[in-house]
Amino acid sequence: MSYIKGLKCRECKREYAIKPVHVCEFCFGPLEVVYDYDEIKKNLTRAEIEGRAKTMWRYRELLPLDSDPAVGRNVGFTPLIKADRLAEVLGVKELYLKNDAVNHPTLSFKDRVVSVAVSKAKEFGFEVISCASTGNLANSVAALAAEGGLESFIFVPHDLEKGKILGTLIYGTNLIGITGSYDEVNRLCSEIAENYRWAFVNINLRPFYAEGSKTFGYEIAEQMGWRTPRHVVVPMAGGSLITKIWKGFKELELIGLLDGVDSKIYGAQASGSNPIVAAFKEGIDWIKPQRPKTIAKSLAIGNPADGFYSLKTIRESEGSAEDVSDEEIVEAMKLLARTEGIFTETAGGVTVGVTKKLIDQGIIPRDESILISITGNGLKTQEAIQDRVGRPLIIEAKFSEFEKIVTPNQRKYRESIVQATI
Amino acid sequence: MNIRVRIPTPLKKLAGEQDIVLANGNTVGEVIQWLTETYPGLKERLKDEQGEVRRFINIYVNDEDIRFVQNLETPVKNGDQISIIPAIAGGSSLKRRVTLTFPPEKVKEPVIYNIGHRFKIVTNIRSANVTENVGWVTLEIDGEEGEYLKAIDYLKGIGVKVEPVEKDVIV
Repeated sequence: MSYIKGLKCRECKREYAIKPVHVCEFCFGPLEVVYDYDEIKKNLTRAEIEGRAKTMWRYRELLPLDSDPAVGRNVGFTPLIKADRLAEVLGVKELYLKNDAVNHPTLSFKDRVVSVAVSKAKEFGFEVISCASTGNLANSVAALAAEGGLESFIFVPHDLEKGKILGTLIYGTNLIGITGSYDEVNRLCSEIAENYRWAFVNINLRPFYAEGSKTFGYEIAEQMGWRTPRHVVVPMAGGSLITKIWKGFKELELIGLLDGVDSKIYGAQASGSNPIVAAFKEGIDWIKPQRPKTIAKSLAIGNPADGFYSLKTIRESEGSAEDVSDEEIVEAMKLLARTEGIFTETAGGVTVGVTKKLIDQGIIPRDESILISITGNGLKTQEAIQDRVGRPLIIEAKFSEFEKIVTPNQRKYRESIVQATI
Repeated sequence: MNIRVRIPTPLKKLAGEQDIVLANGNTVGEVIQWLTETYPGLKERLKDEQGEVRRFINIYVNDEDIRFVQNLETPVKNGDQISIIPAIAGGSSLKRRVTLTFPPEKVKEPVIYNIGHRFKIVTNIRSANVTENVGWVTLEIDGEEGEYLKAIDYLKGIGVKVEPVEKDVIV
């Protein structure tokens, strides 16, 4: 049973039937899926959702598919973690992490959007799936296209991290590295999309694809006991996720599953790719395109498609926006790993680093609930930290050799064990 | 006045099926005004109910996004090119950069002038080095895919080496 009514232009409100289009032909604004919220409200309850399988599809009434998902049936419902050790370091009372670094199957939040997009592509009858990607999307499209038995063409900047290249090729896709930035990759893909009947998940399927991100927000609300955190920090690349988390919260309120939403949404970027943060700080509502230069490659989008709506989300929720340097990103990745045992990719370093900065600046108060979005896995961006985590000590397999490298501080354990034996 | 305005493909039929319209005005705002008076069908497509240029339409004068200059107050002069580009549609009106390397016998020929006249494209020299014997030019070419490809084929046909410039493009 589907509750989708159609597509609607976010700008001029013209309506369109459900088809693979993403731009209003009248005013060139982006299209968005419209649902019958009255009907959803009548049929969907907290108890109903809670009784379902622990995947993102427990919110299927709020997703734009007409039938059961064709791929990615196990995506989502990733851990929400109360991060007490990190909270102590940051000097705050109540801190949570939403950990999509362990999302199924490709270890990033992109599995949410791609499982919707690939399933929708199958409904539309496409036989080839494609995307422009900074890496995580590439992994996910390649994997879920394989699961769906579809051919895939994936376009990425040629200088991506090795892990993201390998983690795409393994699925047997056509991977094309473009000697240029993501924004150039994206522009090329727009042109290909006009000439090939392919499902580009983040171009002609964008209205459907983007909806998958709402489940990140739904899960946060449900896992917190049907309430939302007071402060939510979200990474921004193209700017879609931040708008969809907010939309997800507002939808749950609209259909009566949340009693209210008093969250403030904060956008996080790397200083070397901060077009949305810069616009926020300047107080303007349009984006000055940039040429990104940052280790946070998954966020390196200089001309974000949803930049305008990201700014709108931040301002509407009375949040804020901040960026951190590459150095701060690495430090934040290490901090998260060493306090919570979570190895996130550079984008997670951006959200942790920005959260720390906003707390230190007094913008996020220390005594209210805070949630940090962790959207990707550190094993994919090893280059960013390989020289920053030390090296293993190599020794011969001899007890005497081991004794040579033990520090006096570590030796105290030896002595206590010896005493205990006596 | 003679301002060349590139019309995006979806709006072509509202501008008398033209890709490029020769327009009048001293500022971008005046040119847009002239356009919407000359081709009334364009008005509601380019401007919202408040008379503002629609948010998802970007306007460029030559290479420059007008938001970085003086917006609608950006002055224009004879020979300038204004491009109207849907922000997220992409595709139909891309600027492409190529490096042309001329063989000695072509160095003295007005090759760039020729392609601008033979094909419906607008060229803009970004950097160049031409000596007695050899020369290269990095050229930005704006125009529809078909015309662009015809121009490239023509160049190759007369012995000019054409290589795409992959980096350094930002719109």
